[in-house]
Amino acid sequence: MSSISIRELKLNFGSVEVLKQLDLEIEDGEFLVLLGPSGCGKSTLLNCIAGLLDATDGQIFIKGRNVTWEEPKDRGIGMVFQSYALYPQMSVKGNLSFGLRNQRMARDEIEQRVSRAAEMLQIEALLDRKPAALSGGQRQRVAIGRALVRDADVFLFDEPLSNLDAKLRSELRVEIKRLHARLANTMVYVTHDQIEALTLADRIAVMRHGIIQQLADPHTIYDRPANRFVAGFIGSPSMNFLDGNLVRNGSAAAFDLAGQRISVDGYRANGGDLNGGGTAVLGVRPEHVTIQAQSRPDQTIEATVDIEEPMGADSLQWLRVGDQQLSVRKRADVQHEPGSTVHLDFDLAKASLFDANSEQRL
Amino acid sequence: MRSLAERVYVWAILLSGVAFAASRIGLLGDAGWLHWLFLAAALGAVAVLAVEANGLKFGDNRLRRYALGWIIAAAVALVLWAFGQKQVQEALPFLTAQRRIWGALEPFGLYLAGLFLTFMASLLVIGTLDPIADRPRPIERTLIRRLPAKVAAVPMVMVALGIFVGATLWTVYHSFTSSKLLPKSDFVGFDQYERLWATNRWIISIENLAIYGVCSLTFSLIIGFCLAALLDQKIRFENTFRTIFLYPFALSFIVTGLVWQWLLTPEFGIQKIVRDLGWTNFTFDPLFNADIVIYGILIAGLWQGTGLIMVIMLAGLRGIDQEIWKASRVDGIPMWKTYLFVVIPMMRPVFITALVLIASGIVRVYDLVVAQTSGGPGLASEVPAKYVYDYMFGGQNLGQGFAASTMMLLTVLVVLIPWAYLEFGGRKRV
Repeated sequence: MSSISIRELKLNFGSVEVLKQLDLEIEDGEFLVLLGPSGCGKSTLLNCIAGLLDATDGQIFIKGRNVTWEEPKDRGIGMVFQSYALYPQMSVKGNLSFGLRNQRMARDEIEQRVSRAAEMLQIEALLDRKPAALSGGQRQRVAIGRALVRDADVFLFDEPLSNLDAKLRSELRVEIKRLHARLANTMVYVTHDQIEALTLADRIAVMRHGIIQQLADPHTIYDRPANRFVAGFIGSPSMNFLDGNLVRNGSAAAFDLAGQRISVDGYRANGGDLNGGGTAVLGVRPEHVTIQAQSRPDQTIEATVDIEEPMGADSLQWLRVGDQQLSVRKRADVQHEPGSTVHLDFDLAKASLFDANSEQRL
Repeated sequence: MRSLAERVYVWAILLSGVAFAASRIGLLGDAGWLHWLFLAAALGAVAVLAVEANGLKFGDNRLRRYALGWIIAAAVALVLWAFGQKQVQEALPFLTAQRRIWGALEPFGLYLAGLFLTFMASLLVIGTLDPIADRPRPIERTLIRRLPAKVAAVPMVMVALGIFVGATLWTVYHSFTSSKLLPKSDFVGFDQYERLWATNRWIISIENLAIYGVCSLTFSLIIGFCLAALLDQKIRFENTFRTIFLYPFALSFIVTGLVWQWLLTPEFGIQKIVRDLGWTNFTFDPLFNADIVIYGILIAGLWQGTGLIMVIMLAGLRGIDQEIWKASRVDGIPMWKTYLFVVIPMMRPVFITALVLIASGIVRVYDLVVAQTSGGPGLASEVPAKYVYDYMFGGQNLGQGFAASTMMLLTVLVVLIPWAYLEFGGRKRV
């Protein structure tokens, strides 16, 4: 049974359509990440699931129950916010127990839940402190604890790590993953950070303009992006896009890049017609191109060496093919003379071909 | 030895300035030479330092430019002083036209010249003692560090000290005298205060202020906050409502008082309207009933003042992170509880601002009473500020007016000091 199911959800702010006919099924115990640039509707979708925003049309089911018109407190959710949203005048313990006390829960039960959450998040020593006396990471732990004590079926995270510095962010990221492994609850996590999405998610929903562009596991999203937007959004350094034509090269199809041809034999098509010809875009990640000294017919492309960007463990080599640029990830100790000609070998099995007009993967 | 001398120097300069200001106001009477004594003490400290430095160096003194500056300043001050002398004015006829101005500046010129020369001497000594700018000691910190800012602050400090501190001290001082039409300096002890507290009108004034104060404070805060909370519900025409509620604040107390005087007049105000609607026995005439007249004034005061409090509260509510509201909704906390236990505690600074504004409005309530009732019926709506004004400018009894205003100051301090102690004195808040 799916844990959350969203059917034909629509949400308008005035005349602006923020979410357009959105369908989404989230499995029990799944960690789903909503990923997208700002303004794509991912936080809005999360707020709809939480019940903080009323849907214009459509339905939301949590654990098979239609909760479209229910108050957030009745939906069986716990939520963690970007700005922590702790109650500043209450101690950590007060923050954790305020909601429970308000439900007139028994004192022992509250005590038990608070201490269990505190132990799980290692904040036992902080229980009597006020939020102002905590660091950002500790505050976010408390905020997670506040969701935890509610014993919710579903946890919602609204960019929980965005206010933290890089080091704390990676620490807490691991902790959230560990928490998910331990609790096995359904978690929906909104972020614009692709690293968080790739590391945490069971499945990622990449969103843009209120529409889910692709919903798949991180590997598929990374290796076989559904369209040019997903391909460009995921990956750092980002994917190279080369404009060219699909042509017939004898019996097989080939990609023609300003007169140079490479065979697309190894390409894993999405069912698109490679033999149809026409303009196309070759998307290839910097780590899926290698620089060769020798040329091989139908396999390599000539390029001119441009500048180099060292990145520590490896470095990014910029090259020019005709009037188009691309970057290649290479070992830092291999040097190429700027202006010299090299040969590029594309790993077509991991590359993507997009239709130039629809921008969909072929 | 050295740091002691430096400290003595700084304190002597400070005390000399205070003594000079006091003698100019006339508080010191015969001891008008006290500031020179303190200046001499400062020079003594400089002499001690000079002994420690084994003489003075001029040529390669690193502070010689500052010293030179103070010499020029002293020269200017001396010229001002000289302009006030009769012989100089006779020699330079163009000065005689502004004789009174030069005469007023004369004592300042002489004192400032002395002060600046003391500065100069101390800087030369410091320059000799510390050939390199290493760790500035008290004198250097006082006279060199951020000098332009200090010079620029002097007029403001003078005004604040002169107007607030000086005038307050002057008032308190003269409340112990038998001043009538003009201030006099013959002491009569607590006579004025004994008369004050024996006066029925003063007692009524204090009672009225207490009632008006407590009610105005409570209702302004409650009504202001409730209006702000209602406006904060993402309603339509918020701007319109805000303008309507804030509009009374644009009216003066005199206009407010007149408007409410009419509204509360039985013959053609609220009472008449209600009676015309059919309730012929309805009576609502607070301004003509000595027992409740202060509440009639309170209504006008609230009508005028709550708009501002509402706007301040609204600004405070807008400053609350929206995610707090979301979190409390997810936690299932009812809205009123969220306001009471989460939002209001978070708005503490806003409440303090509002409190200060309301409190200052309470203490100075005067024109509202004058416009609505002129203190009547009888003495029933008198307030302390009106008492002070009437005795000082109407009754030509300065001593009574000063005693009453000193009592008002004391009342404010009684409220303010414990609060300030709690706010700033106790343990540091986080």
